[in-house]
Amino acid sequence: MTGAEHVSAIVVNSSTPLWYATRATGLVALVLLTVSMMLGLLSSVRFQRPAWPRFVTLGLHRNVTLLALGFTVVHVLTTVLDSFVSIPLPDAFVPFISSYRPIWVGLGAIAFDLMIALVITSLLRTRLGQRSWRLVHWSAYLCWPVAVLHGLGTGTDTPIAWVLVLTGCCVLAVAVLTLWRLALTWGDRPLTAAAGFVAVVLILIAGGAWLHAGPLAPGWSHRSGTHRAAALR
Amino acid sequence: MTTHPAAPTWAGQPPAPGDLRLIASDLPLSLAEHIDRFGPPQLANRESATLITEVERSGLTGRGGGAFPAGRKMRAVADASLRSGRIRARTSSVVVANGSESEPASSKDEVLLSHAPHLVLDGIALCAAAVGADRAYLCVGAHAPAAARAVAAALAEREQAGLDAVPVTMTSTDGYLAGQETALISALNGGAPLPTFVPPRPAERGANRRPTLVQNVETLAHIALIARFGAEWFRQVGTARAPGSALVTVTGSVARPGVREIPLGTPLGDVLRRSGLVADAQAVLTGGYFGTWLPLPGAHQVAVSEDGMRAAGAALGPGVLAVLPDSACGLAETARVLGFLAAGSARQCGPCENGMPALADAMGRIAFGPPSRDAVGWVEQLTALVTGRGACHLPDGGAALARTALKVFEADLRAHLASGPCDGASRPAALPIPSGPRR
Amino acid sequence: MNPPPMKPPLPGQIELGVNPIACDAHGLCMELLPELISADPWGYPIIRRGPVPLRLQALARRAVADCPTLALLLTERH
Repeated sequence: MTGAEHVSAIVVNSSTPLWYATRATGLVALVLLTVSMMLGLLSSVRFQRPAWPRFVTLGLHRNVTLLALGFTVVHVLTTVLDSFVSIPLPDAFVPFISSYRPIWVGLGAIAFDLMIALVITSLLRTRLGQRSWRLVHWSAYLCWPVAVLHGLGTGTDTPIAWVLVLTGCCVLAVAVLTLWRLALTWGDRPLTAAAGFVAVVLILIAGGAWLHAGPLAPGWSHRSGTHRAAALR
Repeated sequence: MTTHPAAPTWAGQPPAPGDLRLIASDLPLSLAEHIDRFGPPQLANRESATLITEVERSGLTGRGGGAFPAGRKMRAVADASLRSGRIRARTSSVVVANGSESEPASSKDEVLLSHAPHLVLDGIALCAAAVGADRAYLCVGAHAPAAARAVAAALAEREQAGLDAVPVTMTSTDGYLAGQETALISALNGGAPLPTFVPPRPAERGANRRPTLVQNVETLAHIALIARFGAEWFRQVGTARAPGSALVTVTGSVARPGVREIPLGTPLGDVLRRSGLVADAQAVLTGGYFGTWLPLPGAHQVAVSEDGMRAAGAALGPGVLAVLPDSACGLAETARVLGFLAAGSARQCGPCENGMPALADAMGRIAFGPPSRDAVGWVEQLTALVTGRGACHLPDGGAALARTALKVFEADLRAHLASGPCDGASRPAALPIPSGPRR
Repeated sequence: MNPPPMKPPLPGQIELGVNPIACDAHGLCMELLPELISADPWGYPIIRRGPVPLRLQALARRAVADCPTLALLLTERH
């Protein structure tokens, strides 16, 4: 642990429960978002079993996403209310304006904005029409990895073993289903499928490398901009 | 501009009941000759709303195959144009003249456009005024260069004379479905020449999202005459339920194939005999590849009109009458045509994309062997599965063709199922099947 | 085109139809409404004609909202 975090762990103040809540709701939201992604991918590959009809996949996808959004909202609120570090409400919507770990909180803002857009357009799909809805829904492929990066970059729990394993499982699950989804387009558009395969592999490798050199390497708290915020306060 | 000694100069007198109305000379009439013969393209009372009433009273139905009342279509577009005017400043609608004639066995539109382009263009101009259109398109099939040339020449003459207020753009279409109403509009809007789902109907929202009147070129030619001579004149020939005259394409096993103008309701036998029907004709395909079989000589008394044909379980469609000789095998011809239709599918709708090739294959097995068990049952099941489940009527046409083939060629069917394909099946095709896009 | 309903549904009645171009045989509709929608040999829906029975109307609306391509259509009279 770095200096600032060490201090806050020893000094139990009024913000500590909020800080725990932020971390907990953040992790839960990530898991729920991952499940939502998985269900969405299962729907697009037309997964179906006698005991698991397609409307179950769709209904779950919808409910899990709403739950994920709910947890994300709580996560945002506890972060804003936490007085230990100043992260005002606009920082949750407008990316990169935060004084605390600007890039990584900013990614959270992006993911949050995309989640809101995805949910609203889906609720209004019959009014919007299929084409507009589809266009926005593609951004789910952006929202989820951004949320993962946000979690790894902002989260102070990243170096903890079970957190890493949990995140790793989430990434693996989505990666595998994405590859399955891409495999379906192989027949029609082999070039797109191949490009997609390569992209997924490259992203995984890049993500792993970044993780190794970034959050898991010493001094991440300083490099990501934690101390600036603490100093400003 | 030369005059044709054969063409009578009527100086605006309406054609008498026995006369040909649409085409009466071998070469296209020049603008001057056209006006000389028919009079100027004007409506009797000069009031655009009255043209629609006149066409409604005439009972004219679409000659492109749909047989939809022309006046009702015009009324719908005019009303939609007025309605949209209340919402938006631009009220203009669009007129589309459909001369694409993608039905391989039909040539009436090509003949009409090559011989009487001014009648069609008059019809376009009159309709444009009646429905408030500010532009028009005339779509000619890519396989009909003579028609395109005649239209181009006629357009040049009219432009020089300053005759038409509404500009007409000629376009070219290619492909079996390209002439379908919504496919035509989709292509004009810059999309693929494939059918679209209805609603919205073209009359509500078509080319450029404006109310669009799509009419077959022959229908427009009739409108041009109705405007001059009136609804009563139009009804002097034909029957009460099917008034007027129509162009039919008689082809196949006849001595004098070609396009003929006939009063609607004429018995089929008379029409075919006039084209030199030979003795050994076994059946006639009516309506086109999209159409139905009728037995010969059994169907000689069937009235050639939409209602007359429907009563006999057939369809007039765009007026194709293709006669099949005894030497050919009706089942083989049907199988080949079904293969052509299946290949022409837009492949946008599952039932057609899957069902039509299956139907063509099933009929092919009956015709060329070996038939599967319950081959007939499977064909009947397929016809039920594809009918009415596509966005256009291509599967419906294929299903009707298959159903009537099983009925009309029942004797052949039993023989095929009992002892394999007949000799006729291995003959070259009597009905020409274009390969690739229709040229 | 898809055959239109025989006559417009009476007030309070709803009828189901499908846009065959948009339909991609995902099959959710026939899972939710097996009483009214069955599958043809290729997985595409065959919809029973006529108004939707009152007890199935809520399911019908859900099926229309759930269709992945918005191909299932509802016609109703208020």
